[in-house]
Amino acid sequence: MKRAFLIAVLSVVAWLGIGIASAAPPLKVGASVALTGKYSRTGQEQLNGIKMWVQDVNARGGILGRKVDLVYYDDESKPDTGAKLYEKLITDDKVDLLLGPYSSGVTLAASTVAEKHGFPMVSSGASSTKIWSRGYKNVFGLYTPGTTYMNQILHFAKSKGLKTVALIYADTAFPRNVAKGVKVTAKKLGLKIVFEEEYGKATTDFAAMIQKMRRLKPDVVIGGSYLPDSTAFIRQAKENRLYAKIFAFAVGPGLPDFGKNLGSDAEDVMGNTQWEPTLNIPGAKDFATRYKEKYGHEPGYHAAGGYGAGQVLEAAVKKAGSINHAALRRALLHLNTVTIFGRYKVDKTGMQIGKPGYTVQWQGGERYVVLPKDVAVKPVVYPFKPWSGR
Amino acid sequence: MNLLDPIFIGQLVIGGLLAGALYALLACGLNMVFGVMRVINVAHAEFMLVGSFAAYVLYRYLHVHPFVSVVIAAVLLYGLGFLLQRYLVERVVNRSLLTSLLLTYGMSIVLMNSGLLIFSSDFRSVPVLQGSFVAGPFIIPQSRAAAALVSLAVTVAVYWFLKRSRLGKAVRAVSEHAEVAMLCGIDVVRIRMFTFGLAAAMAAVAGVMLSMIYSFSPDTGPDFITKCFAIMVIGGMGNFLGAFYGGLLLGVVEALVGGFVTTQWAQAMSYLLLVLVLVVRPTGLKGARLAK
Repeated sequence: MKRAFLIAVLSVVAWLGIGIASAAPPLKVGASVALTGKYSRTGQEQLNGIKMWVQDVNARGGILGRKVDLVYYDDESKPDTGAKLYEKLITDDKVDLLLGPYSSGVTLAASTVAEKHGFPMVSSGASSTKIWSRGYKNVFGLYTPGTTYMNQILHFAKSKGLKTVALIYADTAFPRNVAKGVKVTAKKLGLKIVFEEEYGKATTDFAAMIQKMRRLKPDVVIGGSYLPDSTAFIRQAKENRLYAKIFAFAVGPGLPDFGKNLGSDAEDVMGNTQWEPTLNIPGAKDFATRYKEKYGHEPGYHAAGGYGAGQVLEAAVKKAGSINHAALRRALLHLNTVTIFGRYKVDKTGMQIGKPGYTVQWQGGERYVVLPKDVAVKPVVYPFKPWSGR
Repeated sequence: MNLLDPIFIGQLVIGGLLAGALYALLACGLNMVFGVMRVINVAHAEFMLVGSFAAYVLYRYLHVHPFVSVVIAAVLLYGLGFLLQRYLVERVVNRSLLTSLLLTYGMSIVLMNSGLLIFSSDFRSVPVLQGSFVAGPFIIPQSRAAAALVSLAVTVAVYWFLKRSRLGKAVRAVSEHAEVAMLCGIDVVRIRMFTFGLAAAMAAVAGVMLSMIYSFSPDTGPDFITKCFAIMVIGGMGNFLGAFYGGLLLGVVEALVGGFVTTQWAQAMSYLLLVLVLVVRPTGLKGARLAK
């Protein structure tokens, strides 16, 4: 009798123990992030946004009653490292959900791995249309496509009667995509591209390129770039006295570092942005305030994208009611929602079509949305103030 | 567009010489270390970055002008180099090349990651001497002119030191034949520590000058170290003047190729020149005719 009682108690205890242990294991969300290399600054921003989302979602009780656990590694801004890491996340760490890396280049490689495993991936941090032109079914993007980045600026240039454009871009997926869009739009508008050159990702010295540009006296200088190259270019443009009525770069001008590192030389430089804290998007301002409290500086659009990607993932899992790949894929394809990043709605390839892009310009040491006119916080300052006047 | 415009070419050559002077300073230091102890210091670029960050920190928080930081950084890195040689590098001096490469590679990783931990991967620069001045039809960026002048001054000073001073002659003796030097009563171990420290100081000077020209972060070392290796081989390994001319040559070639072809080809030039030299004259431009 005593032994039977003991066995009964032990089995109840064991059952309770197993019950507690198996009560909602955490949901593992995997991602690789550029923490070193050329994209480290923007990669870190994206990671900050993702981490904030993880914090917030767990404070709400997690997704489907399970806490979210973020598993991430450094992809060193390299596509092949990213691919290896996503393979590891899927097969080794056995994550439940995937978020994309930063940069179109790394995302191109990572998405191939995700596609191979039929694992849907939510990507912020990538905008090259090439990603969605391969017939893949598992990549869902948040960013407005790269080919549209400079459209507003080109239209503005045309409206001012400008005629010639000098175009430079790095030799990776995203800058090439921006350049492709520039060429198409310029042709449509009748703007002539008088100079075009592709430069290596690691280039720090633009002096020779700038010499060539000076001789051609372009009206507009456009760069498909990231942060380090756009910063270096502007600095060297000033040194070598290259002047144009409009200077516009991708990515760089969208970050607070651009103004901090260049000081008065950043004045009047235009750039694209996917998001700004001043835009009238529900939750954007609150996100910006909390981000600044937590990290000590204003968020750029990369951070907002990271946060938004988390929100999209959360909404999709809720919509699907499970983390099953097929159900999640369907949910992501049909989801139409608004996050702090803006509207999320994709076309049948998974490319973002619901969210517009914007143009910023540095004025008085700050970055403001200047285009499109209906959401502009300030008007465009035109033409570019000469270097000697700074 | 007439590319044979002499002003265009002249501008490119000037830019190339300015950049080349900086490369030369870096490469000469690296070369000196190789010459004296047959060690290839992969961490040389990281020493340079320590100099850059020193200039950044001193400027940002203490408002010290980079021209003053140059001296501070040089002294600092001399000390660091001296200590690193004494406690780490000395152990691998008489071992195989692979062993020393591993050690210096390890040092570079530690330095880079310490830098990342302290400063994060944000790009920094020292915004002093921005802008340029005009000399005739040519534009000369101030920061690059200053960098070139300082680099030249330091390189020439070190060259004279090696040629004329007692200590310099001792260094050359060790680099030529360490055992014979020892027999002559030279404290070979001390010479090695001194040389490593001196090379690190030279790298620091390059780093401080660089901080005014480019944006840098703890992981920009690899961009420079590969050029240094190429210059070392092009100039002749262990040959001080060789590294100097090699640096200038690379700077000019990069500028000309960047101007006449594209910047991407310019990046490839260090490797193309390297291959060319290895094929045509393997001991380098100024290397010994006979292998040792």
